Amino acid sequence: MKEEGKHKKAKKYGMVINLDECTGCGACMVACMAENNVPFKEDESNKLDSIAWMRVYKLTNGKSYPEADICYLPRPCMHCEGEHGHSPCVSVCPATATDYNHETGIVSQIYTRCFGCRYCMAACPYHARYFNWWDPVWPEGSTKYLSPNVSPRMRGVVEKCSFCFHRYQLAMDKAFLEGRTVLEEDEYQTSCTQACPAGAITFGDLNNPEHKVHQLAKPDNKHGGRPGNPNVFRLLERLGTNPKVYYMSSREWVRQAGDNYLDNEDFAKNYRH
Amino acid sequence: MSTQDDKAKEVSADGAAGPIILFFILGLAATLVFGWVIFPKLLYSQKKQPIDFNHILHVEAVEEGCESCHFFREDGSFSGIPKLAQCVECHEDAQGEDPNEVKFVEEYVANGREVPWLVYARQPDCVFFSHAAHVKKAEMDCGTCHGHIGESEHSRVYEENRITGYSRDIWGKNISGLRKHTWERMKMDDCAECHATKEIKTDVETLPWPINWLPRPYEKQTGNQARVKTVKEACFVCHK
Amino acid sequence: MNIGRRSFLSFVIGGAAGTAITPLPWKLIDDSSIWSQNWPWTPVPPDGEYSQVNSVCTLCPGGCGITLRKVDDRVVKIEGMKGHPINDGGLCLMGLSGLQLLYGPTRVKTPLKRVGKRGEGKWEKISWDEAISEVTKKLADIRSNGESHAVGSIVDSESGTVPNLFKRFLTAYGSPNFMTMPSIQDTYGMTLQLMQGVSAQAGFDAENADFILSFGSGIIDGWGSPVRMFKANSAWKANGKKVVQIEPRLSNTAAKSDKWIPIKPGTEAVLALGLANVIITNSLDSKKISRSTGFESFKKLVQNEYSIDKVSKITGINSATIVSLAKNFARASKPLAICGKGQGSIPGSLNEFMAVHALNALVGNINKEGGVWAVTETDYIKWPKLEMDSVAENGMQKERIDGAGSEYPHANSLLNRLAEVINSGDGSLEVIFVSGANPLYSMPDSKAMKTAFDSIPFVVSFSSYMDETADNADLILPNHVYLERYEDVPTLAGLSKPIVGLTRPVVKPQFDTKHVGDVVMLIAKALGGGMADAFPWESYEACLKETLGVKWDVLVEKGFEFNGDKCILEGDFNFYPEAMKSLSNFTPVSAEGSAISYPLILIPYDTIRLANGYIGDPPFAIKAVEDTVLKGKNSCVEINPKTGKELGLTEGRYASLLTPRGKAKVKVHLYEGIMPGIIALPRGLGHTAYDKYLAGKGCNFNELIGPAEDPVSGLDAAWGIRARLTKV
Repeated sequence: MKEEGKHKKAKKYGMVINLDECTGCGACMVACMAENNVPFKEDESNKLDSIAWMRVYKLTNGKSYPEADICYLPRPCMHCEGEHGHSPCVSVCPATATDYNHETGIVSQIYTRCFGCRYCMAACPYHARYFNWWDPVWPEGSTKYLSPNVSPRMRGVVEKCSFCFHRYQLAMDKAFLEGRTVLEEDEYQTSCTQACPAGAITFGDLNNPEHKVHQLAKPDNKHGGRPGNPNVFRLLERLGTNPKVYYMSSREWVRQAGDNYLDNEDFAKNYRH
Repeated sequence: MSTQDDKAKEVSADGAAGPIILFFILGLAATLVFGWVIFPKLLYSQKKQPIDFNHILHVEAVEEGCESCHFFREDGSFSGIPKLAQCVECHEDAQGEDPNEVKFVEEYVANGREVPWLVYARQPDCVFFSHAAHVKKAEMDCGTCHGHIGESEHSRVYEENRITGYSRDIWGKNISGLRKHTWERMKMDDCAECHATKEIKTDVETLPWPINWLPRPYEKQTGNQARVKTVKEACFVCHK
Repeated sequence: MNIGRRSFLSFVIGGAAGTAITPLPWKLIDDSSIWSQNWPWTPVPPDGEYSQVNSVCTLCPGGCGITLRKVDDRVVKIEGMKGHPINDGGLCLMGLSGLQLLYGPTRVKTPLKRVGKRGEGKWEKISWDEAISEVTKKLADIRSNGESHAVGSIVDSESGTVPNLFKRFLTAYGSPNFMTMPSIQDTYGMTLQLMQGVSAQAGFDAENADFILSFGSGIIDGWGSPVRMFKANSAWKANGKKVVQIEPRLSNTAAKSDKWIPIKPGTEAVLALGLANVIITNSLDSKKISRSTGFESFKKLVQNEYSIDKVSKITGINSATIVSLAKNFARASKPLAICGKGQGSIPGSLNEFMAVHALNALVGNINKEGGVWAVTETDYIKWPKLEMDSVAENGMQKERIDGAGSEYPHANSLLNRLAEVINSGDGSLEVIFVSGANPLYSMPDSKAMKTAFDSIPFVVSFSSYMDETADNADLILPNHVYLERYEDVPTLAGLSKPIVGLTRPVVKPQFDTKHVGDVVMLIAKALGGGMADAFPWESYEACLKETLGVKWDVLVEKGFEFNGDKCILEGDFNFYPEAMKSLSNFTPVSAEGSAISYPLILIPYDTIRLANGYIGDPPFAIKAVEDTVLKGKNSCVEINPKTGKELGLTEGRYASLLTPRGKAKVKVHLYEGIMPGIIALPRGLGHTAYDKYLAGKGCNFNELIGPAEDPVSGLDAAWGIRARLTKV
């Protein structure tokens, strides 16, 4: 068992989100909240303090009626690899409350270790991290639906998407019991992937050519995981954060919205590097 | 003014050195007694298990050792302390005349009430522990962490830390925090010690930490005593 | 011995030195940090044995299968059921937040009797026996006075055992006033009746269609069975199928379609007839249709009355677009035209539905793969014949209060007319039962509905939640929520193959609630005589088991059952004289109000993130609502920047919105995706009841619009209302 696995490559869990199929219904957001014991408060319309590990953004093409167009973009934590695990948030955390796991490629967040300095929030270019400004309060009786797999957070700590790492743990437990150490593709899926009614999210091991995410994104690991599929892009690619969430769109303006370009820049040329 | 000062110096030099040392020793002794003897008694409250459980008797009666009652479910999760339903399989009626057995059947079985066992090994909510990984994959013995509980005839007193609410077993019986055996303490460092000293064979090829010259804060604090292998294992392995 | 300052200091230093070499400081630091990381008020969800149970979601008519993840006896997550024919693992955000309805703060926990004024929120807890005898006494009095027809009920739909128990109850009691919440299926049903002569509902083989022409239907905004439509939409994308969306606003559906064609709202039927003209004139119609009854007069009608230029002028769509759309539609191998705006909660104009159905017929896709099917639900409800006594016979001969069946012969229920009939003094009710519906919120002109309810002396709500109707009731007899009860869930909702699902008690009832089916039977039994005989079952569960017969075991095991092809009704499409008469006399329903006082047109829009029927948005769902839809306590009104500029309105400004029916304070959201001169508000906000997470947020669109009676069907055909927007 150990022999066969010894030279196996590390896993790199990632996501491909098909923006052509995404309908902006918000099921991923709620599936995530329900899975991860995300709290809620009376007014959640101030999106700056509204905790949503997965948030669906609305993009517009900036044109006038009737040429206007919109597209939705779900944004989980990108689980940036940076260079060798040098994610923007991990490198600034003074408390080692967040780290990059080379075995799975997942960026952790340990609430009890976090002391709330929010450096990571400042460092994250994707606004994927949220601060608990208040202690979470569940209405009477509502704690009954809290999942034991994710510990509820307290005031003063940062939280973010974990790619439902507890699901990985639970799947591994089952595998261990059955004498396996390797998971099948469908054994570990995030809550949002599973819930998406449009089937727009694909999740799996980017390093495994048999996994659908690899086939869709065609990541080029020699060049920081850059997508090989021309319709696939990553957010703020040129920052070099090497994120593990890939987006797919057949519309050029959507792909262009994934990064900042100068007015006189040739998108088609720069997009391919 | 100067004469007074000189006088005072004289007095202290001659007559007060003894009392000063005495008081120093008194203070030292008082706090030592307090810190080592009284403080632990104050810190922990003593609680009795609702039913005095005889592990020896049960282990003899069952076929598969610990796993007869503390088993893995099909989904890989660990059952932990048995639920009433499981006990009822054998204990629908009182077996024998032990007062504990009678109490168990009358108070709990008859009313369908779960026994509020006090769990010696209960960890804070932020801890994720996989029994499957340790018992099944790493083939570790229950006793490595839980000690000789399976050989006990009576349930120990459960000592609850008044500040944290967790069992004394987590810190260890020894108030100084020292231990002789692996099962005597269940703090993070104890997990980490094993993970650092034992060659943990991972199935993966890990990449080097880019800033190796910069010790991580946690490593720095614990020195060479125990290392939480944050690079290889990651915090999420044991925390949720 | 002289204990001086120095001795004392020495004692302290000794103490400090001693303390440092005891475990005390180190242990205290450790313990207090553990304590501070695990505040006692942060909940620790208990672990336990994991299990999964399958059931069916009833939060909308979509009928998705759900899998509930349990830890011991708690449900901790709702997920879509894998392998379910409707949703196969996917689930919408309402379904996903269902546990907040089960364990949440909006539940009515015991039977309640009003003690203060109506709507004041002062209640007295009463026992079930008291509650049932209260209702029984009232009903017995009314019946003995020969006024049995003055009792009415409002339920969510016509199908399933619970609505049928209500219907049976009213029939045995002697009242024809069994009313249901309106939906586009009412209009589709009538269309099929008039044009195919069948009593059926419309099913769409959407998955197999290759050109979808949608007249404002929110395909991915919650129309039909929402998750099924999401899946169909993804399949269209993957297989290169075309979707054309016709509506004045760039909705999510329009944005995801291959082509969005903005149209002047309310003129969809004209466009459909114009398209028919192009198809017939270019001989692109199917050969079969040209042989059908009345085809020639239809041809004459569209060619004479709906010339391309005229249609272009009315709809605001240029002629070339109309012609190419018609050609592309007709030349597609499996074209499908659908209608019913938004999520389909407003029945809509009968002529529009007929015109769209005619388009489907012209391209020959009635009862064909990828087309429109006339489907019925399996008739598994076969209860013993009802023996009516003389009071019942008398009562059932009376006309319905809403005019369905008399004034409007084709309609089964016209709840939209109830408020007007009562408020104008043309009719009155003594008692109303409301179950699975929230008419005081979700009916157009909800204020008028409330006024009507105010004049009904006895209002009984069976709601599980403190919704607007329950809040204004005299008695609340709370039902179990869907995760606590058995109930059949027949699902049509535009499916080509209807399905029956079964909800089951996944958890024990959390509060002192009772199944509404049981309560109806208990009341009937307490009334005695023929009423008691009409319900020979011991309990609702017994009734359900007997009704489902052999289906019961299948449903318990699998959770759902297909009705298969038996449900498709053959019935050739024809332009029957009555249908033609209606189409010939057709004038589009216009928006209420004068163009001078109200220069803008306000239309509603539906989003899947906002529930606008019986269920209010649970906290998770309302949290997911964008800040361009709801900001703080205000709804955002969508307005084209050009119109905004004319009115001096900028992004984020407060404005006062006035319509002939009501007014509201709103926030301005400039949106390039809306036609100039049109403004749009979301449906599903502005609740006054439920919990603090929902109440008092935004404005209720139904308070701003009134129903517009369709001249043929009598159903509500209002698609918008004239409005004025001013700075505040």
